[in-house]
Formats: sequence, structure tokens, C-alpha cells
Amino acid sequence: MTAQPEIFDRALLRRRKARAALCMAKHAFLLEHVVADLADRLSIMQRRFEIGLDLGAHGTLLSGHVLRTGKIGRMVCAAPIPELCGLADVACIVCDEEALPLAPASLDLVISALSLQLVNDLPGTLVQIRRALKPDGLFLAAMLGGRSLEQLRDAFAKAEIATTGGLSPRVAPFADVRELGQLLQRAGFALPVADADVLEVTYPSAHGLVADLRGMGVSNMLRERRRATMRRATLEAAMAGYARDFGHTGRVPATFEIVTLTGWAPHASQQQPLRPGSARGSLKAAIDGS
Amino acid sequence: MTDTNTGVGAETRRFDPKLLELLVCPLTKRPLIYDSERQELISRAAQLAYPIRNGIPVMLPDDARTLDDADNAKLRR
Repeated sequence: MTAQPEIFDRALLRRRKARAALCMAKHAFLLEHVVADLADRLSIMQRRFEIGLDLGAHGTLLSGHVLRTGKIGRMVCAAPIPELCGLADVACIVCDEEALPLAPASLDLVISALSLQLVNDLPGTLVQIRRALKPDGLFLAAMLGGRSLEQLRDAFAKAEIATTGGLSPRVAPFADVRELGQLLQRAGFALPVADADVLEVTYPSAHGLVADLRGMGVSNMLRERRRATMRRATLEAAMAGYARDFGHTGRVPATFEIVTLTGWAPHASQQQPLRPGSARGSLKAAIDGS
Repeated sequence: MTDTNTGVGAETRRFDPKLLELLVCPLTKRPLIYDSERQELISRAAQLAYPIRNGIPVMLPDDARTLDDADNAKLRR
């Protein structure tokens, strides 16, 4: 349908999520952090939302938090696979973020926690979300941004060059916060905001980080990934290099940059920019007078 | 893990027809027809029937069934 480059293997993503769904709770610290933050942001909104959708749902974790803010009438979970649909008391659909099955102007809120960083055509997905929102509907999403896993990317690259003499993509590219803000605007959202929050997590060793990533179902799913299993020597060199280059007092850090996107479906009641030249007071007078 | 494994509480889940107000075909963005007998959501425009498994509509074109002549005859009635 589009000539977009395919970066992520979405079918593989669904298989990984299915495998991870069973033991997700052990590795959910990042999701829990993000979900609490999204619920906080929603709780200070000055309006009520009748119907909301959790896009890329991990069970009913986010829906539950969101409903407890008292700002939402009802929630629908949109999960990538049936295994992540959660309990029967929240309505659920299975869909792919790249082809949303959502009727135009049908939702008051679309909220998403840590799923949009693995979409191939993010501009396309954002346009589809904006169209699914009613006028003055809110889009609120947290996703991984550019600095995420920078240490792991570096360690894999150095180790792979040293042990195999070549390089293959091991860590997904993540979008920069400024680019994401521009994408929101391009997709037609009003009052677009993208802000970044950096979370430093430490592990006893880099193995713990890799186990967590696998447990979240987000190990390498790049379409251009090397298909052969990583050689043991490469993995060990990467883990040792990680500790050597980034380790500190016996632990290793991992950076997660969480970018939160906020945008509204346009509506006449929202603040609008004035036409250039339409100001009635002088800026100089306003500054001097203060 | 099989297609029918939908986690805890799946046995009691039923398709909520109110969801139809929200849903369209992901490919054509056209309305869907609910077939309660076969538990499918039908997109005439895309000629696809999306399955409803354990009350959960699976809106993935890869998982959908292509409509045949009999389906189309039934839709015309």
C-alpha cells in the first residue's frame, strides 16, 4: 500500500509478544513506570472523556489506571495479539498499529504505552489516530526515544566488529524527541507537545538487561537483522565491553528515554494563533510597562 | 500457544455489539457487517471476513478469511 521502508518485522513482533505474555509481570518495571506517568498526566486534565482506547495494550494495566482517574467513561483495549487482551471486563480488539480498524471521529481518547516505537510507518499511524478521534479528542502516548539503550548499541557494535569483523543492526533505531514533535504537527494534531524523560536503570550485569528486554518481548526484530543466532563469543564480548565501558561500582547502567506525545484533534474551542499583523497593542509598550 | 488461548477469563468473554460503532475494516476503513452465526465481521469492500475469537474481534488482514461466492450471495439477500 505504501513505499515505506520496512524496518521492523511486525509478524515476528507478534510472536515475541506471545512468548513474553506469560512472564511479562517479572519484567514490567518500565511499563509500570510509564503507565503511572500517563495516568498522572490524565488526572490533571480539565475535562472528561467518554470513551478511550488503549493502543498496543498489555492486558488491562493501563486501562485500569486510566479508569481509576475518574476522567474516563469506558475503555477499550487494542492489543497486538489475543494473549495480551487481559480480563473479560474490558472490551478488547486485536489490531495492528499500522492499519487501525477505527471508525472516524469515534473516540475521545487514544492512549498508548511503549508500543509506538516499533511501528514502521509512524506518520501514517499518527494520521489514522487523529482521524479516529472526535474533535477535541486527546492523543496521549509514551514511547522509547533516541537515547534509549545507547550503551547496548555501542557494546554490540564494538563486540561484533571485534569477533566477526562485520556489523549488523542489533538495537532498533528510536526517533528523536524533536522529530516526534514535528510528526505530531504534520499529522494534524492541535497543541502538539513532545517531552522527554530519561530513566537510568542499573543492573548487576548486562545479562540482566538482555534478560529483561527478552522478557518484555522486544529482543531484536529488525527486518535486516542477522538471521543466524549470535555467536557466544560475540555476546560475551558485548557483555564484557558493556561492563568495561559503562560499569560503575560493580553495576551497569541502561538508559531509557521516554518521549511523551500529547496532541488534540482540532476543534474551534481551542486556542488559535492570531493572524500576523492583527495585534492591537505594542509589544514594546507591554514590556516597558511591566 | 494456540490461537484460541486468550488468557484469564476468556471463557466468559462475549462480543459486545456496541464495539461495531468503533470498528471499520482496517484496509478500506469501510463499515463492517456482524455475522453472529459465524462470529465474523465482514468487510464487503475488502472482501474479507475478520474472525471473532472468544468474543475478541481479530482485525488483522492476515488472519481474515476471503469471502467466496456463497458469502456474497448471502450478503446480497
